[in-house]
Parts: sequence; C-alpha cells; structure tokens
Amino acid sequence: MTAVQTGRPASAGRDAADRGARLPVPVDASRGRRFTGWTLAVTALVVVHVLAVQGTEFELGKLVDGWQGMARFVSQAFPPSFNWDKVVLPGLEATLVTLWIGLLGTTLSVPFALLLAILSSRTMSPHPVVYQVARAILSFFRAVPDIVFALVFVTAVGLGPFAGVLALICHNTGVMGKLWAEAMEETDQGPEQALTTTGASRVQRIFHASLPMVIPQFVGLLMYRFDVNVRSSLVLGLVGAGGIGLLINQAIKTFRFDEMVTYIIIVLILVIVVDQLSAFIRRRLQV
Amino acid sequence: MANATPGAGTPAAASAAGLRVSGLTKRFGDRAVLDGVDFEVRRGELVAFLGANGSGKSTTLKCVMGLTEPDAGSIELDGRRLDALRGQALVEARRRAAMVFQKICLVPRRTALDNVCAGGLSRVRGAGSVSPLFFPKDLREEAMACLDRVGLADRALDRAGRLSGGQQQRVAIARALCQRAGVVLADEPVSALDPAAAEQVMTLLVDLAHDEGLAVAAVLHQPDLALRHADRAIGLLRGRIAYDGPMSAMSVDVQEELYRPDHGADGSEPAGSAAQTPGATSREERVAPGPRPLVKGTIA
Repeated sequence: MTAVQTGRPASAGRDAADRGARLPVPVDASRGRRFTGWTLAVTALVVVHVLAVQGTEFELGKLVDGWQGMARFVSQAFPPSFNWDKVVLPGLEATLVTLWIGLLGTTLSVPFALLLAILSSRTMSPHPVVYQVARAILSFFRAVPDIVFALVFVTAVGLGPFAGVLALICHNTGVMGKLWAEAMEETDQGPEQALTTTGASRVQRIFHASLPMVIPQFVGLLMYRFDVNVRSSLVLGLVGAGGIGLLINQAIKTFRFDEMVTYIIIVLILVIVVDQLSAFIRRRLQV
Repeated sequence: MANATPGAGTPAAASAAGLRVSGLTKRFGDRAVLDGVDFEVRRGELVAFLGANGSGKSTTLKCVMGLTEPDAGSIELDGRRLDALRGQALVEARRRAAMVFQKICLVPRRTALDNVCAGGLSRVRGAGSVSPLFFPKDLREEAMACLDRVGLADRALDRAGRLSGGQQQRVAIARALCQRAGVVLADEPVSALDPAAAEQVMTLLVDLAHDEGLAVAAVLHQPDLALRHADRAIGLLRGRIAYDGPMSAMSVDVQEELYRPDHGADGSEPAGSAAQTPGATSREERVAPGPRPLVKGTIA
C-alpha cells in the first residue's frame, strides 16, 4: 500500500521486508513466577499421589503373585448359569424391583427437591436466612450417603425395598435440589425481572417466568438422577433393600459365582436401557 | 426529512403528564450517575432519550420502575407521587408504568398469548394465576386483543421463541398493553433488531402514543430513528439533562456533544456510536465516564 502510494520502484522488495519484519518481544515479568507456580503444583500433586499409594497399600506385585486366585474365581464364574426357573426368572423379577426402587426414589423426591431448590437459589430465595437454612438442609441430605439412610430406615420398616425407596428419596432430595438450584441461578433473569415490573407476585413470577425458563434443564437433570438412582438401588440391595443387589449378594455368599455373573449381565442390560431412555428423553426436550 | 409530528402536533388531550420526574439523583459510590434530572413525558407523545453509554438513561428508567432506588428526587406516575407510597400501594401505582426491554425478556417456551397474559397477572389472584391452563377467559381475550393491536393475532398460539426478534418485541409491547399501563418505558427497544424490524417497532410505539394516548419514553441510540419517530427528545450528558425539545430542532452540534467519547477529542460523529450499539449497550452503567469537566454551557 505505502509503496504504491509513493510510487517507488522498490515495492516488491519492500513488501517482502514487511512480511519478514520482526519486533522485539516485550519481557514477560511474570514468566518466572508462573514457572515456579507450575513446579509447586506438580510437586504437590506427586506428593499426594505417593501418600495415596501408601495409604491404600497399592502394590502391583501382590496382584501378579496372586493371579491363581483370580483365575480360580473366574473359572468358577463361567459359564454363567442360564437356569430359567432358578436364576434368570428370579433375576428379572428382582431387577424390576430395583427399577421400581430407583423410579420411586426419584419421583417422590421431586416435591421436596423443588421446594428446597427454590428456597436455596440465590435468585429466587425470599430471604438470606431462608437461603442459608435451605442450603444447610440440602447439604445434610447430600452429605449422608444413601446407604446410611437405608440402614436407618431398615430399623423402622425392616429389611426390604421400602427402606430403599425412603433412603433414595432422602439422598436424591439433597443432590437434585442442589443441581436444580444451580440451574435456576444460571438461567436468564430477564423474564423474571420483566414480570416484577408488571406487578406480579413472587409466586406468580416463579410459575410464569423462573420455572418455565428452567424446565428443560430440570427434566434433563431428573433423567440423569433416575439413571444414577437405579444404579444406587443395586448397591442398596446389597445391604438388604431388596432387588437384584440382594440376589448378587446372596450368590457371592453361597459361592454361586456363575449365578452372580448372570445377574451382572441382567444389570448391565438394565443400565444400558435406562441410559438410552434418559438420553432419548433429553434429546427430545432440546428440540 | 423533518419530523412529521414535532411537539406542537400532538393531540390536545395529551397535555396531562403521564410521567413527571424532578430532581432525580442516583449515586454509585461517589459517582453521580444522575444529578438532578427533571423531565416530563405527557400522554400522547413519544419522547426519545438520547445520550452516550453511562449518561444515565437506563438508570432513569430503572428508578421509575423501582429496579433501582434513587438517592433523591420525586417520581410522579399518572399524577401519583411514588415516594409517598409504600408496600402494596406502591406496587399498584407502579403498575401504571410498563417496561419494554432491549433483551425482550419473553419466556421462549410459552406461547405468545401466554406471554401477553403474564402482563395481566397482577389482576389475577389465587389458583387462576398458577398455570396458563387456568388463566381466566376474560384475561385471555384481553390478551388476544392486545396481540391484535400489535398485529400478531395470527401468531397467538406459536411459542414466543419461534417468532422473529421484531415479532418478539411486539409481543413484549402487547404484554405492556395487557398490563393496562398508561406509561411505557422502552429501554433500547430496537437495539437488537434489524433496521426493518426496528422501524416496525418504533412505528408501533408512536401509534400507541398518538392513538391510545400512552406516554412513551424510549431510550434510543440512533438519532435518525429518534428524528423520524419521536415527538420530543431529551438529551442526557453525564447524569444531567443537556437538551429537552423537539427532535427536529436538535442541532448536529448538540448530537455530537451528547455522543462525544470521553477520551480524546477525535471528532467522532453520532452515527459512529449508534452503529456499535447492539450487544455493547446494557453495560452502560458500568462504563465509567472520563474525568472531563461538565461543558453544559456549550449545548443547553
């Protein structure tokens, strides 16, 4: 450009010089500090991992030495038992119970989770004190593992699926309430503000602006929690809450490893089906 | 092309003040965003608020709507002074003013009709106000009439998110009508719209002012839009009124002064600052003005 304007014959050489032009890079004063920071972070990571290896008695040599034990276990487990009357049919029936535990544990926690989510989202909470209290309640339900809730409820209602449902309701209220509250805090506050200016009440603003704005996220998170809860109810079965987890536990205790593998195959199919179902519903919601 | 309807051309019935603001002052920290702002918007006229980012236009509207508390000054809506009212009475009085937002602020999943109905929610109490399924028939019919007024009756049952930007803004205006507001405050209503849609929305706002006797105050960033549509213009410069008069009488010098960048005197023109409005606008209040002294004498 400049060469053309001045009309100098050396325009080609000038362009080439421009292309190869260089400028000194300014000295980056923070470079050394950043290097030190990275070194410290990596060192700290290595140290905690060494501590973790010691703390868990992590020793690959032991695994190699004991390979016969594993081989014996696997040889007992295969082939899986496909005895319809004694293994497969009870397994399917128990799987259905597991599914029902996960389903009820999810849906029955919706009202509690919704209420606590509204009270504990910064944007919708009516008062800072209410906000803190609701958050504390959610933290409690989240912090106590579902298996502990299950043991507590077993003392009241005895062993069985009912205790499992109650345990999942408690734990899922804590987790889903937290997830929903965060979803509400992240959505666009515009419609809610717009309704404020029309003189709508707080409840009206929630039902006509905040909630309709977050429904897709809410249902997506609900499906995700259903997926997780079905798998949790398997573990609850191990402590006596019924379902296929109980059968797996019994199979292990009676050394019927071939039956155990059959149950695990059934569980695998259940988990895949639930996962596909929740992915399908989430996809449909996004349209 | 001079303004078709300068201040003198408005209907005679429009003399009543819809909105009267006096001595409005608002500080953020030690910075006065509004410094004794006085103005009036009469029924039947559309007043354009002009001024650079940070001049206090949006803060003025927010004070009127109660989204921000002013430090001093009085606001009168339809003849009722807001500072004398508290609680429910204040909410009632404020309901006479409706706001139209740059970001439109509809619920995209709900139908256009349901969004318009939401404007009338304050008249519905109890179970009828929990879900659109239970909205009373008269509210739905009134909302239909409002949608018809903005020319979108045929899209009533479409989801708001499926409408174009211009149509969405017209639905938002219908929501303001359904609120039965006498005063409409529009905060950069067309900044996010393409020129044709902007023209349509501005025409609608002017029609509402002239035909329905609404008092319309619109923050605009495009002086040419103001020139074509506004009955009157109010220019704000660093929290003070720098111009108040017919848009057609606003000289180019005044326009340049209103939109002059705070840093350096590189002779910018208002068209330049108008062109960069979409997106960069709502942050207005956070942009600190430069330390230049007031040059009020040169314009007012």
